[in-house]
Amino acid sequence: MLQEAQTVVAISGADIALAAKYVAAGLCMGIGAIGPAIGEGMAAAHALDGMARQPEMQGALLRTMVLGQAISETTGIYSLLIAIVLLFVV
Amino acid sequence: MFEQLAGLLTHLGEKRIAVLSLGGFEIRFDIMYLVMSWVVILLLVGLALLLRRGLRQPVEEKPTRTQAALDGLLDLLKKQLADNFASEQLAIAMFPFISTLFLYVLLSNWLGVVPYLSAPTQDINITFGLALLVFFMSHVLAIRYKGTRKWLKGFLEPYAFMLPINLVGEIAKPLSHAFRLFGNILAGTFLVTVIMVKFAPVIVPPVLNIFFGLFFGAIQAFVFAILAVAYINVAVEE
Repeated sequence: MLQEAQTVVAISGADIALAAKYVAAGLCMGIGAIGPAIGEGMAAAHALDGMARQPEMQGALLRTMVLGQAISETTGIYSLLIAIVLLFVV
Repeated sequence: MFEQLAGLLTHLGEKRIAVLSLGGFEIRFDIMYLVMSWVVILLLVGLALLLRRGLRQPVEEKPTRTQAALDGLLDLLKKQLADNFASEQLAIAMFPFISTLFLYVLLSNWLGVVPYLSAPTQDINITFGLALLVFFMSHVLAIRYKGTRKWLKGFLEPYAFMLPINLVGEIAKPLSHAFRLFGNILAGTFLVTVIMVKFAPVIVPPVLNIFFGLFFGAIQAFVFAILAVAYINVAVEE
């Protein structure tokens, strides 16, 4: 996967494609992780609000929070898949 | 030792595929994940047979230690998973299916922590198979509980022109169900391997393995099972 550093600098189209692949995979993960992070944080914050107000509801709230976080995490997982496809398949 | 570890990184994401030709068909197997999947199945069956011997037959007697532990585990599974079903009857009927799904995924995820073994849930085909199992289970149950007419009518809700959207929604369910588990476990494995090879081969991997393998593995198994409960519930409810 990782290329040896070459002493003679000769940039070909394949090199540019390789570089673009890595940059694209990095950007894909970095930008794709923003949305799920915000969403999961909001889910946790509101679940905490609910728990502070009604501690006896803690079990149900925790379960629903984990479920909601897992669903909002899916978009992040999709960007991960695209990053993996960029790195290993394209 | 370092050359061996670097080899791990070069072969990261590679698969060994065996091809079986049957007439005009080509069937492709991933031998490693097939074997790992059978390891999980044999472990589960073996544990079940082993733990069954600790049960005391007459119920009135004082329970043995294994019996008490198993009681606790089943109680936890019932309270956390099966009690989310809409009806008591459905919860009782579905409890074995859901808890088997949970235990299989949990043990699969935890298998990745053991050196030289890898989690079968890293393979998209296995998670997709599990998701399809849940998909067909939910629709078969919907037909059985609601009847074919009501089940078909459910796709026309709330308006008839929403049919394409409803169909896409139904297909997206098993897709996201499978990709979520696969992506989480694969990402954990990649991260642990890359950090192990590139930064710290000795101290950090056990900690990361505990975090990504055991903790995330348990969370993802729980999420997989609870989403299966949610999908079946949505399909069955009137």
